[in-house]
Amino acid sequence: MKEWITLTVNGVRRTVPCEPKARLLDILRDALGLTGAKEGCGYGACGSCTVVVNGEAVKACTLRGKEKLDGAEVVTIEGLTDREGNLHPIQEAFLRAGAVQCGFCTPGFIMRLYALFRNKPSASEDEIREALSENLCRCTGYEAIWEAAVLAQELLKGTRLT
Amino acid sequence: MGFRYIGKTFERTDGYAKVTGAAQYVADLKLPRMLHVQILRPEFAHARIQSIDTSEAERSDGVVRVVAGKDYPLFFSASGFYDQRPLAVDKVRHAGEPVAAVIADTLDHAKQALPKIKVVYEPLPVLLDPVEAARNKAVLIHEQLGGYRHLDSHFPEPGTNIFHHYRLRKGDIEAGFKEADVFVEAEFEVSLSAHSAMEPHGAVCRWDGKDQVEIWASTQAPFAVQQAVAEMFGLPHARVRVHVLYLGGGFGGKSDVTIEPMVACVARAVPGVAVRYVCSRKEVMTSTVLGRGVKARARLGARKDGTFTAFRAELYFSDGAYGDAAANIVTVAGHNCVGPYAIEHCHVDSYGVYTNTPPVGAYRGYGHPEGCFISERLVDMMARKLSLSPLDLRRKNFLSEGKRNSLGETIRDHNGDLFKCLQNVENELFSRPKPPEDDRYLYGRGVASMMKSPKGAPNASSCCQIKFCADGSVHVNLGGIEMGQGAQQAMRQIAAEALRIPPDRVSVFREVDTQHSPWEWQTVASMFTYRGGNAILKTAERAIRVLKESAATVLRVLPGDLDYDGESVFLRTDPDRKVAVKDLARGYMYENGLTIGEVAEATAGDRIPGYVEPDPKFGMGTAGGTWTFGCQGCELRVDKKTGEVIIDQFISSFDVGRVISPQMIRGQIVGGVAMGIGQTLKEKIEFSDQGKIINATWVRYKMPRIHDIPKKQTVILVETPEKRGPFGARCVAEHPMVAVAPTILNALYDATGHDFFRLPVFPKDIVEALP
Repeated sequence: MKEWITLTVNGVRRTVPCEPKARLLDILRDALGLTGAKEGCGYGACGSCTVVVNGEAVKACTLRGKEKLDGAEVVTIEGLTDREGNLHPIQEAFLRAGAVQCGFCTPGFIMRLYALFRNKPSASEDEIREALSENLCRCTGYEAIWEAAVLAQELLKGTRLT
Repeated sequence: MGFRYIGKTFERTDGYAKVTGAAQYVADLKLPRMLHVQILRPEFAHARIQSIDTSEAERSDGVVRVVAGKDYPLFFSASGFYDQRPLAVDKVRHAGEPVAAVIADTLDHAKQALPKIKVVYEPLPVLLDPVEAARNKAVLIHEQLGGYRHLDSHFPEPGTNIFHHYRLRKGDIEAGFKEADVFVEAEFEVSLSAHSAMEPHGAVCRWDGKDQVEIWASTQAPFAVQQAVAEMFGLPHARVRVHVLYLGGGFGGKSDVTIEPMVACVARAVPGVAVRYVCSRKEVMTSTVLGRGVKARARLGARKDGTFTAFRAELYFSDGAYGDAAANIVTVAGHNCVGPYAIEHCHVDSYGVYTNTPPVGAYRGYGHPEGCFISERLVDMMARKLSLSPLDLRRKNFLSEGKRNSLGETIRDHNGDLFKCLQNVENELFSRPKPPEDDRYLYGRGVASMMKSPKGAPNASSCCQIKFCADGSVHVNLGGIEMGQGAQQAMRQIAAEALRIPPDRVSVFREVDTQHSPWEWQTVASMFTYRGGNAILKTAERAIRVLKESAATVLRVLPGDLDYDGESVFLRTDPDRKVAVKDLARGYMYENGLTIGEVAEATAGDRIPGYVEPDPKFGMGTAGGTWTFGCQGCELRVDKKTGEVIIDQFISSFDVGRVISPQMIRGQIVGGVAMGIGQTLKEKIEFSDQGKIINATWVRYKMPRIHDIPKKQTVILVETPEKRGPFGARCVAEHPMVAVAPTILNALYDATGHDFFRLPVFPKDIVEALP
């Protein structure tokens, strides 16, 4: 019945038993206790569960099954701070810009930008807005999230994303 | 008056936890031996339940218990109208109603068992239109309406589908219209919409034996949940403990009570074991509460010089299957649709009508957006008829010092300055010429004004507890819920200011728990900064008094001769004679251990004084109490071919009294406007003829995304200190959403020459209206 899936999550190799066709979101939240990825809708409309899989931003509620997940490199919001608990520049930018309200969409937005800036440090305004349009926020009206993204890009200049 | 901590931006108290994903919401909670719950919903929006057979479901894999409504034939209420049961018993009244619940070891097992529950229904006619439902006496959604227990402020009409009728009778309406030279009249409609807080509703519940229960819930109102659940089971209120972890948005949709009584009933079937229920997004939309939903007709009369003389309106709220959460909205919309104007003769009938949709509950603005939509569209129409500037017409009639609102309350200067707000909007909006029509776009500008006062239980209070630690740092506890608005941040700044202690030495509460937190009625009505802030000021005064009394004994002087600066208590005339606060925190201990004085802890509360329910005959009285006034304006473009609306500039100016935290206020205003744009141009809950919601997903129900919202909004704050607000602050949270729709629709008229009266306005409506 259960299958074993091996993934690398935030740099740590994890082998977990899960139901066939288990969603990545459930593996992260239930099997691994990484509850930073949130379930807002369950069908990829809101992006609250966005994590980075093999370098790309992915809605973890839509990705399922051993075939797609075995061997995957996953980065979640829990993997962004350094060992001392210092915030990643994107996290820092969200706080400084006032882009955090209820916080439920926050990890998803941060991971969306993490993937974007990792792959394209000098993403254009349009590219950033396009990326942000994948995710929903009900509190902020997006203005501060946009400002956080611009600030994050600036803070990241000169730093290499790992 | 210089402030140290008020009016400045600090990092949010909850910021680190939220950007690192460490913040724990109810769906993240795991308890030992936790079981999972799924809910069976009916096939019909209105039907009698003939039988429920749960036997097959009970034998399904992993199923522990199946619970049906007949197991708990109880009623509950949060707002004083006991018309709702935790699970349907003999009848279902909307298609999202809980009929039965499965408790199983896993979520999958619970889901698998649901279709094995056999229910036989006798379908009944479905009512969706509030005007039709109000007139229909043959199909009654609640046959027992006359028998429901309710507070005196509710006025049901038994034998009909009207569960509440609010009447406003100010002055003499006939005389008022006789005085008028010019009239405008229109019909209005606001669709039902979904709050759509990002976090779905959820609850974990565990009975410790049969007479004590603990609930972890996604709620803005833990004390209301405590009371409703306790009342329902006949338990002492103190035996119900409600915890709130982080809350992922509320907007009113998590106020009063929603799923909690149902979850408490289900959990009772398995005492000692925690059960967990988290709504799917679909269930949030079909089975918690919706917002708005009104059809209305209104008429405004004015003299030639623009003075408003009379206002008449009739509002029919499509409030869904239950009226408990909606009744007060009906009242508030009734006395606020008059607008922020002094009108001598007002005559309003506002009806809360049962329909076969999910019940309506509080939604950001609480009746004010519906009312403001009516008044602000009528005022613009009146300005055109009188050939006056819509801004000047507003100025002529604005509420201001000495004028009386629709409730008969007298407005004072300290209540705020509508003129300044409008001036700010005017200066920004008309600072350059409006772009002329081009090949692709029509351009338009519009403004609207608003007021909002809170509506709550007349005894609604915020309470605070302050306790000093042994190093002089401070715990500040309140029962208000942080749901994103920055409540804790505001509380920390107010406490730091009041106690003269730097914010990093002030620990504000994180979780709210009815066992440990001071009482808070509910975190609604934008009241927490105002009322909670006042509670802090009162409590700080008491705590400082305790410190002074202890220090007076030590220094052998009178407490009245002492001053306090956050670090020590000292003699005013000789500041070197002092005792450190840290040495007074637990009483003062002499070298030999002898300890004197009280422990430095204090508690106090605040409520709006003199607040009452409107008078039953005239609908008037001190039912506003405190107001926030504001004006909004926008410039937009209409794509002539597609009907798409692009908002190029949106300006908000509110008289907030005093800015406590600039970043939090801007966050509320910008976010509220975005929500208002969604309500005006995108969001509509749609039903099939049979009462099923056909767009209960975030794919088909369109919330604004980043490209739907202006990149940078203009926010201009006016600070006219409110007489009894904390440091002069007044309420601002729901307010930014109140006038957005009429602002946009007034601009749409300016662009297209067409008056829209229905919300939302879709591009196809605009294309149809264009010549």
